[in-house]
Amino acid sequence: MDNDYFSIDAILAENQKIQCTFKVDIPDMGHLAGGSDRDIKSLTKAPIPIWLAYIMLFSDWADFTIPSPFGTRVRNALKAEPRSVKLSNLVGAGGLWYGFGKMVMDILSEEQANGISEMLTKAFKGRLLEVIDQAQHFAALGPAGGGGPSTDTAQSFREGLDGTERELFALAQESAKRMKRWHEGNDKARR
Amino acid sequence: MALPQSLRTSVTPLELELIASEQLVEIVPLITMEKTAFISGAYGPLRPPAKCRIPLWMATNLKLKKKCHIVPPEWLSVDFLQERLTRETSRPEFSKLPFRFAEIAKVILDVASDDVQNADKIKSLLKDLREARQAKSRDGLQKLDHSELSLPNLCSMEINEIRPFFIQSMGILTQLVREPSAE
Amino acid sequence: MDVDDDDFFTNLDRPGGAANNNTFQERLRRASRDDDGAEIPDAPPFMFEEEEETPLQQLIRHWMNERHSPDILPNEGELLAGLLDHIRSQSETVQLLRTDPSSSEEEHFRIVLVQTEVERVKFIVRSYLRTRLFKIEKFARYIMTNPQVQQQLSESEVEHARRFARLTDQHFYHSVLQSLPETQQTLDDQPPFVPSMVTEPDKGRAVFVLARQDCPPVRLPDGTALDMRKGHISLTLYSVVEQLVARGEAELV
Repeated sequence: MDNDYFSIDAILAENQKIQCTFKVDIPDMGHLAGGSDRDIKSLTKAPIPIWLAYIMLFSDWADFTIPSPFGTRVRNALKAEPRSVKLSNLVGAGGLWYGFGKMVMDILSEEQANGISEMLTKAFKGRLLEVIDQAQHFAALGPAGGGGPSTDTAQSFREGLDGTERELFALAQESAKRMKRWHEGNDKARR
Repeated sequence: MALPQSLRTSVTPLELELIASEQLVEIVPLITMEKTAFISGAYGPLRPPAKCRIPLWMATNLKLKKKCHIVPPEWLSVDFLQERLTRETSRPEFSKLPFRFAEIAKVILDVASDDVQNADKIKSLLKDLREARQAKSRDGLQKLDHSELSLPNLCSMEINEIRPFFIQSMGILTQLVREPSAE
Repeated sequence: MDVDDDDFFTNLDRPGGAANNNTFQERLRRASRDDDGAEIPDAPPFMFEEEEETPLQQLIRHWMNERHSPDILPNEGELLAGLLDHIRSQSETVQLLRTDPSSSEEEHFRIVLVQTEVERVKFIVRSYLRTRLFKIEKFARYIMTNPQVQQQLSESEVEHARRFARLTDQHFYHSVLQSLPETQQTLDDQPPFVPSMVTEPDKGRAVFVLARQDCPPVRLPDGTALDMRKGHISLTLYSVVEQLVARGEAELV
C-alpha cells in the first residue's frame, strides 16, 4: 500500500474495477463499456478500472456505486466475526482488499469514507492477531512440521487472507524463523 | 545493490550481538597484558588473578583461547532470573531487564557456560522469560493503532523480532484511519 | 537484594553481593580488583552509558539511526574521519609489532585483539556507509532537486547521487522515453491522482524509538502529546520523533 510512483503493487491495485454510471454521452469510447456500440450513452453502466475512474469522477462525467466487497453484506459479516470472512474471495487470489478499500475510500464523500475507514480498520485489527499467531505457529513447526493443530478453521482463515495480510504473515514467519535460528545456533568458530 | 533487501527494514540478530559485545564485562585473566589502547578505550593491564573489565568481544576472544574466565553479570543468575520470571508472569507490564540482556546472555552462555553457575537452569529460565514476554508483545499488537504504542522495558532483541510486522501493521493503519483533518 | 531499586543495574558488580558462597563463580566475583588502571572505563556494565559516549559508541548510534530511519540523515563526516584515522594508526601499530621478531606471546594476544577490534569497527563503518549509499541511490532524484538535503551529505555522496541520477535518467531515456512523445519524456511529473515521479523518503513510517534523556513533549498523529522520560521506548511515526533523533535526545532501536 505504499505511495510510490514505481510501486508495482500500487499499479496492480489500481486495476480493480468499480461500477460506474455515466452521466454524459461520450463519443467514440464505446469500447470502454465493453459493448459493440460506438459511443457511450448517458446512464450506461460499466465497470471501469480505478486508475481511469479517478478522472471521470473528478470531472463529474460519471457516478459510481460502492463495490460489493465493501457493501452492507460484507460489512455485517465482518461485524459478526472478522476472522470468518474470506477476504481473498472478495478480491481474487493475491488481491488487495485493504488497498482496494483505501482507494474506494479516497474517492468517497466524507461521511461514506469514514464508514469505509471504520470497516477496514476494524477488520484489520480484528484479524491481525490471528494472522501473526498463525505465522509464528508455522515458523515454530520448522521444515518437518506441517500437521500440528492446524484445524479447518485455521486453514480456512489462512486461505482467506488478502494480499496485505499475506505479506504480514510472511514477515512475521520470517522474523520468527530468524530468531529461532539465532537462539538455536552456537557458532563458536564465527566469533 | 548497496544494501541487501533483508537488511533494509531490519537488523540481524548477529548485528545486535556485535553491538552488545561492546559492553564491558568482568574477567579473571589467565595471561598478563600491559594496558593497551583500543579504539573503544584503554583496557588492562591484565594481571592474573586480579579481575579486570574489558569489552565482551574481547572477553569472548580470550575465553575461546582459554586465556580468561568470564565473570557473569549478577543478573545472569538463577536467583535473579527466577525472581524476574515470577514477576513477569504475575504482572501485566514487561519487567525491567538490561536492554541487551538476550544478546549478552547468549554470547556468555555460548562461549563460557563453564563459568556460569547452573548454566542449564539459566538457559531454561531465559527461555521461560522469553515466552512470558512474547505473550506481552502479543498483547501490544492488540493495542496497536496508527499513532503510538508505548513499550516500556521491551528489550533490543525483542524489538527486533516484532519490528517487521509491527512497523508494517502501523503503516497499514496509517493508511486506513482517517484523521478528522487534524492539520 | 532489592530488585525494585532503580539503581540495581548500576550496582551490578558490588563485590560479594549474592548469597551463595564458595562456588567457583563466587570466588571469581570476589577476586580482588586490580585498580591500577585508573583510566579503565568505569561505566556500569550492561546499562545505559551514563558518561560521554566514545566516538565508536556515537558511530554505532548513528549507524542504527541510519538503518531504521526512512530518511537519509546528516552525514557524520567528522566522526567518521576521526575513527578512520584511529583505524589507520591501530593498523600501523600492528604492522610495527608484527615485524618485531622479539614479540612475546603476550604481544601476540595484544596484536590479535587490536586487529579484531579494527575489523569490528571496519564492519560498522562499511555497514553505515552502505546504508547511506542505498538511500542515496533510492532517493537520487529527490536529493538532486533538493539543495537542503544535499547539504546533509558529504561531497562524494552528492557526487554519487548526481551520477546515479544521471545514469538512471539516461537508461530510462534510451530504453523507453525516447520512443514516447516529447511531452511524456520527463521524469519529474506531478500528475493528478498519481504519486510524484520523484521518490521521497516516507517519514510517516513507524520506528522504535528509545529516549536517551527526558525529552520535550512531541505531538502524535491522533492529536495527543507524547512525553518521553529517559529510557522510554515507543513505536511511533518517524516524523513524530525526527527532531528528537536529530538532536540526539532519542535514538532509533
